[in-house]
Amino acid sequence: MKVPIRMLGIATVIFWVFLAAFIGLAAYSIKDLGLDVGETQVSTTPKGELLFSLPISIDNKGYSSLNDLKITTVFFDESGAEISTASTSVPTISRGETAMITHNATLNMNALLHKGEEYLLEDQNLAASVTTGLTLAELLPVQISANFTYPWGAPFYNFRLSQPSVGSFNVTHYSVGVPVSFENHAAFDLTGNIRIQLFSNDDKLLSETQTSFNAPRQSSYADEVEFQIGANSESLLNQNGHFNIYFSTALFEYGPLVIPYG
Amino acid sequence: MVEQNKKLQNKVKDISSRVAIAAVRAILMYVLFMLTTMLIAPLLEYMPGIIETIETFVIVFTVFMILGDLTRGTIFCHFLNVARSLFVIAYLVLSIGDGMVGTSYESYTITLDLTIFYAFAAALSLLGFARSILQTIGYVNERTEAVYALQAKTK
Repeated sequence: MKVPIRMLGIATVIFWVFLAAFIGLAAYSIKDLGLDVGETQVSTTPKGELLFSLPISIDNKGYSSLNDLKITTVFFDESGAEISTASTSVPTISRGETAMITHNATLNMNALLHKGEEYLLEDQNLAASVTTGLTLAELLPVQISANFTYPWGAPFYNFRLSQPSVGSFNVTHYSVGVPVSFENHAAFDLTGNIRIQLFSNDDKLLSETQTSFNAPRQSSYADEVEFQIGANSESLLNQNGHFNIYFSTALFEYGPLVIPYG
Repeated sequence: MVEQNKKLQNKVKDISSRVAIAAVRAILMYVLFMLTTMLIAPLLEYMPGIIETIETFVIVFTVFMILGDLTRGTIFCHFLNVARSLFVIAYLVLSIGDGMVGTSYESYTITLDLTIFYAFAAALSLLGFARSILQTIGYVNERTEAVYALQAKTK
């Protein structure tokens, strides 16, 4: 009985040593992993979505290959509700290989504005969760997750329509000027149309106009839109009323945004 | 008188050899612990508290090992070996739990799925436990055989 017990002891010790060496090498593989995350690039897709591209370079200097690499980004709004999810997968990064990955996450502006018009008019903080999962040394699944805050710049920050002022007139119509201004705080250039309806106090449509605009990122926009209203409606203009504003850009359609005047 | 002196000498020799073996094994264990700590030093800053856990394990394991060496040749040695094996299993179960080990560093959370390692380690611990039980059975068997042989001799 002594010999089998001794053999059992020797076998157990050998297996323990193998296990410890395996864990040690796997741990050292993590240490020797070179990770370089570039700057996020923002662009638009043909589908009219915002595209966030994150270049990532992974240099596998470890002792074993990396498998099933999956990067997942989830955007959340301020209430914690999920807005968008995106994943990038790489099946294998061999030992000594450097993998260049571009992780793309899209954000549908229409879906975002559906959550609330504050994303159009006010700067917000979007929470983003980035999770990276991979299998080390063929056997050990590892998951690294991080939470970030993405500062969302409103495309129509501080959007203002000033009090209508009567300009020139003829026998049948008055020309009414309304100054429009906003700041494009978004990470993208903004080009499109703004359609504005002018309503009187009793919800009577007095006039409608539209203007096209081009506001590069991080710039201010100021213009004046002109309404033609009938001569008999001029008195209604002096009372209270409201504007209904419809935004139309390549990325999104939104409206009506109601702004009172008077 | 000469025989008594010889017996005493043998006993002293036996005890001193046990103490020496226990001391050498304890020193080896300490050296192994120090080497392991040095090797995993770069990872320790990401896993606060792990070194204390390993220290506790090494201390308890070494105490069982020293006591086992000092009581070598008695039934207590085997009891201590069984207790040591059970301690290793209990330590694994309590420290690794469901096999998921996680730590946080700045805004990052790292989760390691050690289920496969856990399964291997648990299997090896059970093998160690089985070996200790077999050693105990072997020891009791030998003692019983010796007693029967002595009884047969005296008859």
